[in-house]
Amino acid sequence: MSPIRVLVGVLGMDQHELGAVGIARMLRDQGMEVIYTGCFNTPETIVQAAMQEDADVIGISSHSWEYLYYTPELLELLKQNDLDVPVVLGGSVITEEDAGKMLDKGVAAVFGSGSAMTDMIDTVRNLAAGAATS
Amino acid sequence: MKENSTRSGINLSPVYGPSDANGDYSRRFGNPGEYPFTRGTRAYSGRGWIQRELSGEGDPKRSNEQFKYLMTLGQTGLDVIGDSPTMSLMDPDHPLARYTVGTQGVSLCRHDDYRQLLDGIPLDQMSISSSGPSMFTVASLYLLAKERGVSPGVLRGSVIEWPFYSEHCSYAYKMPFDLHLRMSCDVIEFCSKEMPKFHGFLEDTYFFSEAGLNAVEEAALGFVEIRHIVRALLARGLDIDSFAPRIAILTNCSMDFYEEIAKIRAMRRIFARMMKEEFGAKDPRSQAVNIAVHTSGLSLTTEQPANNIVRGAVQTVALGLAGVTALEISTFDEGYRTPSKEAHLVGLRTQQVIDLETNINSVQDPFGGSWFMESLTDEVEARILDMVNEIESLGDPAELVSSGYFKQFFHGTMGRYHRQVHDGEVLKVGMNVHQMPAEQDTLLRDISEEKIEPLFDRVEEVSAYRDKRDQKPLLDSLQRLHDVVQTDENMLEAVLECTLAGATMGEIAGILRQAWDTPYDPYGYLESPIGSAQ
Repeated sequence: MSPIRVLVGVLGMDQHELGAVGIARMLRDQGMEVIYTGCFNTPETIVQAAMQEDADVIGISSHSWEYLYYTPELLELLKQNDLDVPVVLGGSVITEEDAGKMLDKGVAAVFGSGSAMTDMIDTVRNLAAGAATS
Repeated sequence: MKENSTRSGINLSPVYGPSDANGDYSRRFGNPGEYPFTRGTRAYSGRGWIQRELSGEGDPKRSNEQFKYLMTLGQTGLDVIGDSPTMSLMDPDHPLARYTVGTQGVSLCRHDDYRQLLDGIPLDQMSISSSGPSMFTVASLYLLAKERGVSPGVLRGSVIEWPFYSEHCSYAYKMPFDLHLRMSCDVIEFCSKEMPKFHGFLEDTYFFSEAGLNAVEEAALGFVEIRHIVRALLARGLDIDSFAPRIAILTNCSMDFYEEIAKIRAMRRIFARMMKEEFGAKDPRSQAVNIAVHTSGLSLTTEQPANNIVRGAVQTVALGLAGVTALEISTFDEGYRTPSKEAHLVGLRTQQVIDLETNINSVQDPFGGSWFMESLTDEVEARILDMVNEIESLGDPAELVSSGYFKQFFHGTMGRYHRQVHDGEVLKVGMNVHQMPAEQDTLLRDISEEKIEPLFDRVEEVSAYRDKRDQKPLLDSLQRLHDVVQTDENMLEAVLECTLAGATMGEIAGILRQAWDTPYDPYGYLESPIGSAQ
């Protein structure tokens, strides 16, 4: 079985990269292939990279409210491109209320700073498995 | 029993005694105000530190109101941060900036913005510490002082120089290292002549240390950068004593109480020896470095935000004991946002309570002579120096920047810190120990989660402003700057001219990149106003 491919990146002008780098390492340690796109992404660059790299899951790390605007745009762009790749959001800046809003819009999962590592890993595995069978 | 060690990995004994601290008093410590300044850069004054809080949000006018509010609370200096576009030399109407204009700092891109930002602020009395891009802050402060009939020579405050690390872990200029270094050196040289009381060279170790660095790594990387910039300035033929008195350092302060105090004492000593013995500084002011501190945002949590107030207070006590020049507390809502009005109040009052009620400033360097603290200071100092030597032995540090050495380094420390927190190796009350269910975690939550909306109006306004300017002098000034960059001339005069002609920071930065044969807009959206000039 080929390893799960996860795209990890940060959107817009948000330059807090610690969470993204930490998650990328954590997923790599689990044997997943991580396509790390760093900072300064837009929904367009994320979708493009996800297509080129056959990503099973897209992980967006956020420490800026920009994600509130970019995430719906990203979801819409994925739909326009017929790309059925689940989007996972992470970041301490995401409040419980906003997490709910993002889930309603179609984000597959949201994690805060205190989320357990095992939860995050299991979720990515399950989403990747779901995406593969759909 | 678990072995105790500092965050940098220095083992701690449960008890220290006379055999742990050794050495000659005058050589290693000296009295406060005396070489090597371990115990403080000045003789006892009892004045305490400059008290300020990070500020700047929305547009310049709103930030100005924030400053005035802080001043009514008794703030004694200003500490200003730009929003992410401003910090990255990007104008608010850049397509990538749109959703974050004014949300994590103030949006600034024109001289008129600085006029509004500092309206009614007494420039000759208030120390202005700016985290905004140094060249543009200095240009506008200089012009503003002249407009108001204040001599630039009396301006106090600081701007950050960060050519080594800004691209990789704080705010990227998207500029080649050599250009960024040139900007820094030009600013420092300009300030040492025109604004001699102003710190044109603040080495900011805070920003990059938030990439999960420990105290030793933070200080070592800071000294690598200081040393490189100093060498570059000396290579210009400048006398060390012409600019070294205006070097200052802004550090982080984590929760590792003793080690942070030792770090600051060690950094003062390292700086003094380096300046005197290696760079030949004769002026004692060149050897005595002022250290200001921003307490660690990374040490704070979004869980149980009230706990952050305690963290800020503990860090402030450490810094009071270490004898810092100025400080700002990362406030309780830091996990979510730049400080709210309520957080500003709590942050400043924390500083004031510690300053005025505890007698903390009655004695200078109270840890001086402590077997433990002197031993820890020695060990921290030795490890910092080892690491500086190790990095410099790898080759020209400038090459290390270009080859991605530091980027790799930061990714390593970010990953390490992330793992340490998740493994519980670094304990954070409320986050990985003593957690509580979300429905109970309500204290100060509503304030912390309140958002600052992006300023879409400002995007439109700045966009419309471009065509309203008198184009001829504007384009002439930008062309002249383009030409100056290709000489050895200091760029500041040409930048002042562009600023007065109404150029924006994004335009000036773009021209600098263009003159350096790199894209005007590193993100590929914008065209240069002077075309593909030769």
